[in-house]
Amino acid sequence: MVSRKILVYVETSESGPADYSLELVGKARELAAKADMSVGAIVVGYGVSDIAREVIYRGAEEVHVVDDRRLATYSLIPYTTAVAEVIRKVEPEIVLFSATVSGRELAPRVAARLRTGITADCTDVDIGDWVDPATGRRYERILYQIRPTFGGEIMAAIVTPNHRPQMATVRPGLFSVPPRDTSRSGRVFEWNVEVPSDELEKVEVLEVRRERRKVDLKSARVIVSGGRGCGLKGFELVRELAKVLGGEVGASRAAVDSGWIPYDHQVGLTGQTVKPEVYVAIGISGAIQHVVGMKDSKIVIAINKDPDAPIFRIADYGIVGDLFVVLPKIIERLKRR
Amino acid sequence: MPISVVVLVKPVVDPKAVVKFRPDGTIDRSAVKLVVNPYDKYAIEAAVQLKEKLGGRVVGVAMAPPHAADSLREALAMGVDEFILLSDPKLAGSDTLATSYALSAVVRKVWQKLGGLDLVLCGIESSDSNTGHIGPEVGEWLDIPSVSYVDSILEVRDGAALVKRLIEGGYALMKVKLPAVLSVAGTSYQPRIPTLREVLAARRKQITVWSTADVGIDPSLVGLAGSPTRVVRMWRVEIKRRGKIFSDSDVDKVLEKFFEELRRDGVSLGA
Ligand SMILES: Cc1cc2nc3c(=O)[nH]c(=O)nc-3n(C[C@H](O)[C@H](O)[C@H](O)COP(=O)(O)OP(=O)(O)OC[C@H]3O[C@@H](n4cnc5c(N)ncnc54)[C@H](O)[C@@H]3O)c2cc1C
Ligand SMILES: Nc1ncnc2c1ncn2[C@@H]1O[C@H](COP(=O)(O)O)[C@@H](O)[C@H]1O
Repeated sequence: MVSRKILVYVETSESGPADYSLELVGKARELAAKADMSVGAIVVGYGVSDIAREVIYRGAEEVHVVDDRRLATYSLIPYTTAVAEVIRKVEPEIVLFSATVSGRELAPRVAARLRTGITADCTDVDIGDWVDPATGRRYERILYQIRPTFGGEIMAAIVTPNHRPQMATVRPGLFSVPPRDTSRSGRVFEWNVEVPSDELEKVEVLEVRRERRKVDLKSARVIVSGGRGCGLKGFELVRELAKVLGGEVGASRAAVDSGWIPYDHQVGLTGQTVKPEVYVAIGISGAIQHVVGMKDSKIVIAINKDPDAPIFRIADYGIVGDLFVVLPKIIERLKRR
Repeated sequence: MPISVVVLVKPVVDPKAVVKFRPDGTIDRSAVKLVVNPYDKYAIEAAVQLKEKLGGRVVGVAMAPPHAADSLREALAMGVDEFILLSDPKLAGSDTLATSYALSAVVRKVWQKLGGLDLVLCGIESSDSNTGHIGPEVGEWLDIPSVSYVDSILEVRDGAALVKRLIEGGYALMKVKLPAVLSVAGTSYQPRIPTLREVLAARRKQITVWSTADVGIDPSLVGLAGSPTRVVRMWRVEIKRRGKIFSDSDVDKVLEKFFEELRRDGVSLGA
């Protein structure tokens, strides 16, 4: 019998496979054990054989590689072609992507090409049976895709009964990265995908401006984050509070884009996902793209002058007030302790 | 060179209203007023700015029940020239694949009517489904490029657009051949507040309602029949946060209460 497969689309950088992709490989193994499936990965890029081996060390039983000089950097349309072609040939039951900036455009584009369903931003995936109430038909060991909707107010469980593959993007930072085991072996399949040259010419990346990350907020027990409300001046107070509490400094994208603090400190969809014991959000409104990066913090404290700021809805403790008045007083109190 | 832009606008239940469930566990969308998806205002603003700079036409496209027409007046007041509202009971239950197919069919027809098309703009996501799928999927159905998370459209010239895209850690500058679909993020555009005159003028703008048959949509590809995904169950998220928010004109009082609550709950702030 041909073994049924779960494939994980693995994003890469010069330093190797992305941690959030490896997390998904770990999660896929858990699902595969429940459903009697095997776990594979898809890697697209140029000179990626080391990466393929690394993904095997992390638990993939096979890696499907599209290695092409013209695919050295990510570009949506040719990558769609590469990934869709691999899926057509391998015929997996399930394909998982990370809900990153590129995953959230690549996955739906691939799904549309394959005319299958896709669920965005899952916070959990599981295997289970389902009976279609309309037809009474029973589906065994299919993918349950659990996701927030209505801006996070409602959760939904979604299935893809009749179309294959079952596809989902999964939020980064939910699962742990599986341990590296260099004794593991697996097969690497190299696929030659015909990428039409006009696909490569349709979109041209002229320039990438990116800051490299040096600060790791993941292991911090206390994070004090500042947002647009702080300004350059307010960030001095944010830093001081972080110091007094022995924590790290975090930031919203608005603060990073304003140049008050380097990107290393950004929390959120395009920054880091953090889960400290205490997260203090100062002058941060609580936009969903920020909240996805910090909502699993144990205790959330918000300081904001707008009582209607969405951040208060997900806070354990909130202080409505001007940070320039409130923070100096808090810092003084803590110093007196 | 005047340009032709389609902007995809989703009428949604007012995100400020509390979501209501029917007894059978499905969401009750009937009772509440529909408004323009807040994220789509950035796309509308971007489209109108392009038109102001280059001349041309901005056609809004929405797929929603007929009573959504009222909500589209706001987009018309912001400078959209006319709307096509795709409305048909056959569309009920469409997931993102089915919705993107239906919307792409409408875009194709508008494209023919205009005799050309440069851009399809949409929001980065809708406030009710939050998927961001529609942009890339419409691009795929139309077989044209798509770019998600566009911060700003810097230039449109010689059949290409120069766009700045948000990425992890920064920006990418890219040149995209037209026609293309761009999902506009809310980072660089400030949606305009229409003047009274613009609001009044919007009343005279055209909202044309099309059915699936008007567009030649294959009924087997929309609605529940055309949707690969099924929602099994929905439930309200329990916010497990303590929600102790302190507010008082006297800051010292607020802090007194704040620290006292922390003490009482046994929360220590230090690392
Ligand atoms: C693709 C994409 C990816 C993104 N990724 C991220 C990400 O990774 N991380 C991220 O954070 N954002 C991200 N964003 C941006 C996000 O949508 C918001 O724009 C951003 O989080 C807003 O930052 P902010 O809360 O600091 O600013 P604002 O929303 O402007 O909020 C400022 C807050 O400060 C308060 N304030 C002002 N003055 C004071 C004062 N004196 N005292 C107290 N309070 C005050 C205001 O009441 C307001 O609530 C992303 C957006 C997109 C489209
Ligand atoms: N029913 C619809 N009618 C018109 N535009 C839509 C519709 N659904 C989604 N869109 C567009 O697609 C974007 C992404 O929506 P979504 O994929 O639902 O998160 C929205 O911001 C809209 O621009």
